[in-house]
Amino acid sequence: MAQLRSKFANLVTGCVIAVHLVLLPALYFGVGYVIRKSHEDLFVQHARTFARMLADEFEVGVALESRARTEDLLDLAIIHGESRYAELTDRDHSIRSALGPPDITAPREPEMGFHNGGDDIYFILLPIVHAGQSAELRLGFDERPTQARIQLALDRMLLLMAGYLCLAIGIAAYLSNRLSRPIRRLQDVSRSIASGDCAQALHVSTSIQELHELAADLEAMRRELVGMNDRLQEKIREKEISETRNDELQKQLRHRQRLETVGTLAGGIAHEFNNVLVPVILFTDTALQDLPSGSASRSDLERVLAAARRAKDIVQKILTFSHVLGDTTLAPTDLRNVVAESVVLFSALAPPSIEVRTEIAEHVPLVRADATLAMDLVMNLCTNAYQAMQGNAGILTVGLRVAPAAAADSLPRVELWVADTGHGMAPTTVERIFEPFFTTRPVGQGTGLGLSVVHGIIESFGASISVDTAPGAGTTFKIVFAAIAEITPAARPIGALGT
Amino acid sequence: MHNVLVIDDEVDVRDSIQRVLERAGFLVRTFDNATDALLELHRAPADVVITDIIMPKLNGVDAIHRIVQEFPGVRIVAISGGGNFDTSGYQPGAITTTAYLAAAQSAGAYSILTKPFESYELIEAVKHVIGAGHA
Repeated sequence: MAQLRSKFANLVTGCVIAVHLVLLPALYFGVGYVIRKSHEDLFVQHARTFARMLADEFEVGVALESRARTEDLLDLAIIHGESRYAELTDRDHSIRSALGPPDITAPREPEMGFHNGGDDIYFILLPIVHAGQSAELRLGFDERPTQARIQLALDRMLLLMAGYLCLAIGIAAYLSNRLSRPIRRLQDVSRSIASGDCAQALHVSTSIQELHELAADLEAMRRELVGMNDRLQEKIREKEISETRNDELQKQLRHRQRLETVGTLAGGIAHEFNNVLVPVILFTDTALQDLPSGSASRSDLERVLAAARRAKDIVQKILTFSHVLGDTTLAPTDLRNVVAESVVLFSALAPPSIEVRTEIAEHVPLVRADATLAMDLVMNLCTNAYQAMQGNAGILTVGLRVAPAAAADSLPRVELWVADTGHGMAPTTVERIFEPFFTTRPVGQGTGLGLSVVHGIIESFGASISVDTAPGAGTTFKIVFAAIAEITPAARPIGALGT
Repeated sequence: MHNVLVIDDEVDVRDSIQRVLERAGFLVRTFDNATDALLELHRAPADVVITDIIMPKLNGVDAIHRIVQEFPGVRIVAISGGGNFDTSGYQPGAITTTAYLAAAQSAGAYSILTKPFESYELIEAVKHVIGAGHA
């Protein structure tokens, strides 16, 4: 089917050619017939008139009176009358012009039509009556010049028709091409729209009103499609963003729920433990008073008491973790004092193998926090960093700087970070570090509460924490607070904690 | 010799407090619930009442209210190990140790102690409230 389909321009041109191929021959033969007929009629008319005039001359004139005169008149017919044969026949003799070709024989009954007999001569027989005598005048007119004229006219007409046909085909090709160009353009654009490419604008310049309107309609449709496509893509993008956000929120919610559950459980356990520790501490203390100093039992009981006091500290941490959200009182706090005091305290506790550095910006805005808890926070992070260095030499840096605001119209943020040159963490570890009781240290070397307490404190401040770490590349904990004022007041002396 | 009445639902807590205070020279009676302790107070008065906060039946804060109303001369020491659960089980988001003790204090407790405490802290607290009572 596809091969049979032709392009619009070819179709139009083909139709024009086909119509002309039928019409032009008919025209040619029709006009040819008319031309031929008119030429022949004219020839016959001329021949008859000429013959009649000559016959009259013979009848009324003196030509028949001498042979020489007769011959002269017959020669005149050959010379001026386009005749090739002229003969005057009497009863017993005939006179023939010697000017015509001698091999021509006149038929007995001359035909009265053009081009009959196949000898290219038109014969006319006229009876002459002169002075009571009758004779016959035979004339043979040459048909060839007339035939040549007819042929010339026909050839010219053929030439004209060929020219006309070429012109017609040319005009048809031009017009169909002009018509098909905007159609092709429309077709290209429709195809690209169908294949999903709607970016190509449709500009068709045509003087044909219907095509112009069709192009305008198609362009409007394309714009609508582009708009719809854009709206759909926008919706998909929004949906993706919302899903990502939703996932993130779900994750945060699950994390929070897990922490809350563990916190609740930890609070309950802490209560039980505190009740258990009361008799342990009090009875041991009482028993110790009864034992003489230096006895083995006394030393054992002293260790029991020490262990019970350590347990009390642990339970205190659990309670800090589980209650930190409810117990904090937030107030504008200068973190520079918090950091400075914590570093002084930690430096006194840390082994000399660890170099403690501080990078504190000169102007830091106030943040909403609880100074004591903030100090707890820094101490916990420092302890964690120190433990990450596993007793090896290393550098611990505590920094405080102003970070640019999240949005143009919001206040700047304050960034507190604690970096170590320790062993770093794998991503699977990072995911769980803020869970209570999660620890990478061997049993007995840590409660695993440090970072969960840190997390609880940060949540209570409404701050956020992030971890930058990789195995073997050290760890940086970064806490971001929202500033509550543009500029920090003049630095207060170290030690003036809180508000 | 001063009379001390100890209310705590944990027997080991009651007994250990009794041991420490008796060694320090106090006369100590113990009860595992506040209702019985209030009846006992009607029968024989006490100088100091040491009471836990979170207890079955009558809780410590309500007990303090009643003691303050019925026995204005009795000095109260509230003790609590905190935790966010009560007799009905774990209560997420329930009030905390500080809040319990704050409630006890506003109800009329003269001194507060967080569990676990050292022997000397307990003795000092009891002596402190008795001294204040005599002042």
